[in-house]
Amino acid sequence: MTKDQRIKKRHRAEARFKLYGLVSIILALTFVGFLVFTIFSKGSDAFSKTTIKVNVSFNAEILSLPSNPSLEDIQDADYYDLALESINKLLLTSNPDDEKLLKKLFSPDFDLEIKNYLVKNPDLINQTQDINLTSSDDIDQLFKGNFPRDIPEDRRQVNDRQLEIFDELVAQDKIQKKFNNYFFTNGDSRDPELAGIGASLLGSFFSVVICLILSFPIAILASIYLEEFAPKNKITDFIEININNLAAVPSIVYGLLGLGILLGFMNFPRSTPLVAGITLALMTLPRIIIPCRASLKAVPPSIREGALAVGASKFQSVFHHVVPLSLPGTLSGTIIGLAQALGETAPLILIGMVAFVVDIPGSPIDPASSLPAQVYLWSESAERGFVEKTSATIMILLTFLIVMNFIAVYLRQKFEKKWN
Amino acid sequence: MKERKIKIKTENLEVYYGEKQALFDVNLEIHEKEVTALIGPSGCGKSTFIRCINRMNDVIDICKIKGSIEIDGKNINHKSIDVVRLREKVGMVFQKPNPFPKSIYDNIAYGPKIHGITKNKGELDNLIENSLRKAALWNEVKDRLHEPGTSLSGGQQQRLCIARAISVNPEIILMDEPCSALDPIATAKIEELIDELRETYTIIIVTHSMAQAVRVSQKTGFFHLGKLIEFGTTEKMFKNPSNNMTQDYITGRFG
Repeated sequence: MTKDQRIKKRHRAEARFKLYGLVSIILALTFVGFLVFTIFSKGSDAFSKTTIKVNVSFNAEILSLPSNPSLEDIQDADYYDLALESINKLLLTSNPDDEKLLKKLFSPDFDLEIKNYLVKNPDLINQTQDINLTSSDDIDQLFKGNFPRDIPEDRRQVNDRQLEIFDELVAQDKIQKKFNNYFFTNGDSRDPELAGIGASLLGSFFSVVICLILSFPIAILASIYLEEFAPKNKITDFIEININNLAAVPSIVYGLLGLGILLGFMNFPRSTPLVAGITLALMTLPRIIIPCRASLKAVPPSIREGALAVGASKFQSVFHHVVPLSLPGTLSGTIIGLAQALGETAPLILIGMVAFVVDIPGSPIDPASSLPAQVYLWSESAERGFVEKTSATIMILLTFLIVMNFIAVYLRQKFEKKWN
Repeated sequence: MKERKIKIKTENLEVYYGEKQALFDVNLEIHEKEVTALIGPSGCGKSTFIRCINRMNDVIDICKIKGSIEIDGKNINHKSIDVVRLREKVGMVFQKPNPFPKSIYDNIAYGPKIHGITKNKGELDNLIENSLRKAALWNEVKDRLHEPGTSLSGGQQQRLCIARAISVNPEIILMDEPCSALDPIATAKIEELIDELRETYTIIIVTHSMAQAVRVSQKTGFFHLGKLIEFGTTEKMFKNPSNNMTQDYITGRFG
């Protein structure tokens, strides 16, 4: 082979390698783009809900309220009859069959919505007011255009008469899309239009905070001790190997640990963020210790020597110089560890965090769900409304993860100092 | 030249890194307010030797020291000696300039702060100015004391490290090839500085440059394979060495 041929061959090899790299990056970006597109196209509808405008007259007689009702009276009253009467006014002619069908266009909690409105505005007694009541999931999907109208009537949730009523209401401009506040404030529900991520969002928040409080100080102290103070011998080698092993242990095993020790042996309350936080902390510990030790190791020995040479003690050289310099790596490692904990599902299944939780947890010892567990729960539901809610929850979860990763990158760049 | 007081004295000093012996039976007397140069091929134990004097080898787990090192007649490896106090007294400048990634001011203020040398900000400012003046750096940096020390040039960084070593008012300054990473102009400045510092401090300098040893030192020691082959005045050592190996080394026939 001549020299020219050889050079050509080398250039070709380089060009080939560049091409492979480009193809794999394009492929990866395509997959990510596809994932984001499907999640967004499915999930964006969950942020709006369909409402039906109803003219409600808060008749004190129907509510059987006393003449000067207190807030408690208003809260204790029965709104069902009033609600029925109000929605029946939507029909032009009175017809018991139609009234039954009409009621199904609304979410089952429509009387509660009227009540809540009055509790917020108690001055409205004996006055009339237009209120946008949440529609049922079927109407919601119908209005969003996700509902196939052309299939036979016996296979539809919404029959022909209901469609007629619906079209009439649309023509009267009574049906509107509104921001779906329930999605953020409500707990789980059997009815998709009422289901929200409130309980799981707070559950995840409490879990991650407990995880941070437990794992961050322990991991930092452990890595500083192991990296800077511990003698290098067989015991520390053994510990190091085991930390690496623990980081590779499947997360469900930590769930078993939580189930066996925290729930079984110590009788902690089941499906609470407290237990989830402790379990996630155990799982996150090695995942934080490893990057922390790496960033401590990355501080050049010359800095340690420089400090020692002016008479700093070992402790001073570590805490005045090495730890501050390792901070960017330490913090970003911690945040990435927490982001992993936030997205973790398997251990939570075992400690009961996949529960159907309606009430918003007020503290870490109340039953709660978590965002990934909520995704898992809703993904099994058949209703169309839950499909979009599943995707929307994934969007929320991904948003948190992306924000956390950005914070990690930001901290690393902000605190990074260059030496030499 | 009259003989000065003995500052550092080693007797039967032997150093082991695990199984490997790095220094063999080193007996040496270093006099006060003189510059002592240590020369010898790479890996001969010069650096190991000076790192014993401020016990920098303590950091290395597997390092073991036998024999005695005395400073002002006191064994520095004795239990009663606190290593922090020792290093306050014995400053060190390293091969590669290693300023802290902080401001010039903070680089020098660090030592005095941890030892509580100054009582207030005014004293500290004075001390910093003095240290920088002694290190011949003051005029170059006086207007930018709060810029990072790492933004200085290599030679300036090394003088900053010298100023840092001076700031805690040591008696001895150890220099481990302080000019090996510097260009000739920066080297000349450091050498000039060493000559001035000799009036106040006892200096031990490890160097690979024979010319440098001749220029800055009064005494020279030649190490080879962990043994101190020859020790004496620099003049005699380079004009009329008593050992053949020294002769070969300084004339460049091996090493």
